Amino acid sequence: MKFAFGFSLILVSISISIVNAQDFQHQLDSLSHLITTLPAKDTTTINLRNDFLKQALFANPSDSTLLKFANETLAIAEGAAYYKGILLAYERLALVFQYSFSNPYKALDYYHKGLTIAEKYPDLKSLQWGIYGGIGTIYYEQEEYDKALYYFLEVLHNNKSLALTATANIANVYGSINKVDSAIFYYQKALSNGLVESNLTYKANLYSNLSLMYEKAGEGDSAVMSAEKSLALIEANGIEFVRPTAYANASMAYLKNNDLKKAEYYALESLKLSEKQGNLFLQKSAWGTLADLYSGKKEYQKALEAQNKFSILKDSINNQNRRVEINQQQMEFDFDKERTLAKAEIERQITLKNNVLLGGGILLLATVVGFILYKKRQDVLREKKEAEFKALVSETELKALRSQINPHFIFNSLNSIADYYLKNDQNTAQEYLAKFARLMRMVLENSEHQEISLSDDLKFIELYLQVEAKRLPGKFIYKIVVDTNLDAENILVPPLLLQPFIENSIWHGFVEKDKLGYIEIEIKKEDNLLICIVDDNGIGRGQTNANNAKKSLGIAITENRLKILNNQKKTTGKLKIIDKLPDKGTRVEVSVPLETYF
Amino acid sequence: MIVAIVDDEKHCTDRMLYLLEPYREKVRVVCFNTAAEAIKGIDHIRPEIVFLDVQLVEQTGFDVLSAISFRNFSLIFTTAYEQYAIQAFKFSAIDYLLKPIESEDFENAIQKAFKKKEQDALSERLNVLQSHISEVNASKRISIYYNEGYLFLNIKDIIRFQADVNYSHIFTVDKKKYTVSKTLKYFDDLLSDSGFFRIHNSHLINLNFVHAYSKSGFVTLLDGTQLEVSVRRKDKFMKACNAL
Repeated sequence: MKFAFGFSLILVSISISIVNAQDFQHQLDSLSHLITTLPAKDTTTINLRNDFLKQALFANPSDSTLLKFANETLAIAEGAAYYKGILLAYERLALVFQYSFSNPYKALDYYHKGLTIAEKYPDLKSLQWGIYGGIGTIYYEQEEYDKALYYFLEVLHNNKSLALTATANIANVYGSINKVDSAIFYYQKALSNGLVESNLTYKANLYSNLSLMYEKAGEGDSAVMSAEKSLALIEANGIEFVRPTAYANASMAYLKNNDLKKAEYYALESLKLSEKQGNLFLQKSAWGTLADLYSGKKEYQKALEAQNKFSILKDSINNQNRRVEINQQQMEFDFDKERTLAKAEIERQITLKNNVLLGGGILLLATVVGFILYKKRQDVLREKKEAEFKALVSETELKALRSQINPHFIFNSLNSIADYYLKNDQNTAQEYLAKFARLMRMVLENSEHQEISLSDDLKFIELYLQVEAKRLPGKFIYKIVVDTNLDAENILVPPLLLQPFIENSIWHGFVEKDKLGYIEIEIKKEDNLLICIVDDNGIGRGQTNANNAKKSLGIAITENRLKILNNQKKTTGKLKIIDKLPDKGTRVEVSVPLETYF
Repeated sequence: MIVAIVDDEKHCTDRMLYLLEPYREKVRVVCFNTAAEAIKGIDHIRPEIVFLDVQLVEQTGFDVLSAISFRNFSLIFTTAYEQYAIQAFKFSAIDYLLKPIESEDFENAIQKAFKKKEQDALSERLNVLQSHISEVNASKRISIYYNEGYLFLNIKDIIRFQADVNYSHIFTVDKKKYTVSKTLKYFDDLLSDSGFFRIHNSHLINLNFVHAYSKSGFVTLLDGTQLEVSVRRKDKFMKACNAL
């Protein structure tokens, strides 16, 4: 079963005639010889230069010297005020940008420059149809088929000598929009045109495309037959220009007839060639073919990779910017044309044109800037959304951690109560229980909030210490020291941050010792940090049996809370547990960023 | 002096009786175990102090209050953990004790009740309480202890509060200013869900009266007052305004 990827048509559009490949190198050589011997400003030289460039371009599209050569021709023609030469030079520059640089924007720009000249000089009007063909090709490659069809039909109806290419390109467009029967009809019409016999490159290309149409129509045998006609022409005459696409089409035809070995061979060769050429459009097509092929071979991993490459290339060709720019150029040209018709004097036209160009440029700039700003805004909004989502996640995590304190604390306190009932009379037990209830309420209320005032947290700590001191009379005393320049009402802290450490001191530090325990809670400010300290004179972590093996649950929770808080607020809250000399107790320092309500 | 205890749980009544033990000479205690008994009994015995549990079997202490006609007593609610009720007690300045009851808290409450302060304007305060308990979106009021009596204000008529150490000044729509002995934090905690926002250490404002806010950090209220918004409160203030 073959996957429908929505694209498998491989076409190359040649909107200009190409000479027979056998005579090609010879002609090029003699042309370049002529160019060097003739006087530079002569119109014949300019014509020759333009001819040479067109042929050299199709002999070797990746020749990097062509752009310079075309620009020189333009300069010479302008110097000689030879408008036909200027027009053709513009057209050649467009071709260079279209085929060597895959830059439709620049190409279209030059085509429009050429058209402006054709509009201005009636005797050059016949030359505009070549340019129309070029513009049609660009729209065709941009997959704007309606526009492409309009330009090609104009050429077909107005210029007999370009009828062959126009017919072929109309076939191409129909092929691209999957009107397969129309495409086959126009290809056959093109192949029956007498001119095709004098241009084997073109013939090879038409057969190649026809093969693809047959393949799409499900006529595998006809497809292979056409493909082999094309391949034969290519091999016999060394037609490099059509080779990559013809190979790709042949590959599809063979695939249709289940000749997988030949199919893969031609697809890979096609890719190799188009990569060398640096032609994005052809590479895109080749990957599309490979995607079809591998899925045909049930090698889905490879098919997926090929499809990915295909999509990436398609995006880069069709990206929104270029579309915008092409439309911009079209608008600029239309505007320019109207103005030009209205004004009689050429001098004024030129000044006006400059103004219009400037205006167009500003418009273009404004559009581009607008687009960039829009994109930036979108990015900012997206980032904001992401950040909000992350904040929500960490807030939920924190809440979960805070609520874990509850059961942990409740069970420890229940142990206290049981212990208390064993050791004390009922009424004091009642009092103790009432205090414990108040403590529980505070835990529940405080753990609801992400932050509470330091004074509320200290109230809790004080009550907690009171309750525990009552449960263990004579075991320990405590002191709470708050730096006098701290405004406890206004300072915000994560609730119940110190409780696990105080609990550890009481439960593990003192219980097994005879000497009087001492806990000091200290709150102070250092730079932009609030330092909360629990310092005891207990037996230290190393000595406690309960704490040797594993970290207490309370400490693990606190560590996690600090980690999330740090992440959330981009701060550096820290937990330090200092073992004082053996038997001298433990000191815990929790530092959190100093935050205030107001 | 007659003290009524309305509670459906025996251990709670026992605890109360234990706490009242020191005043045995002074008071006579009557216990009601159901709402129905209490409704019948209170009108009959006309107690001077009533301890009223919020959650009775199938009924609430509020049902008892709305059913009785005698209301000349000091009322002290008792509750274990009814947050909504506690909030309503605070709005109506009605005393309450949290169970299990701490003896200290009990002492404070009973001493106040002996002074009969709690009897002042009880009917009016009960109306305020009722409005906060009911789901009906009636205009809510707040009772505040003031000048040896009680002050009743419509919450929507309060423009703002301003801190003055342990006192707060209240500014109302009718251009009056009341000074009460409650901290600004007390009102902040109570009213932050009722459209009030603490913009500053010294200012709590009703967001419905915000007229303009300039990015320089000043808010103008409809009565023309201009107040500073603390730097740290700006973001939250904007959010609160937008949420309105």
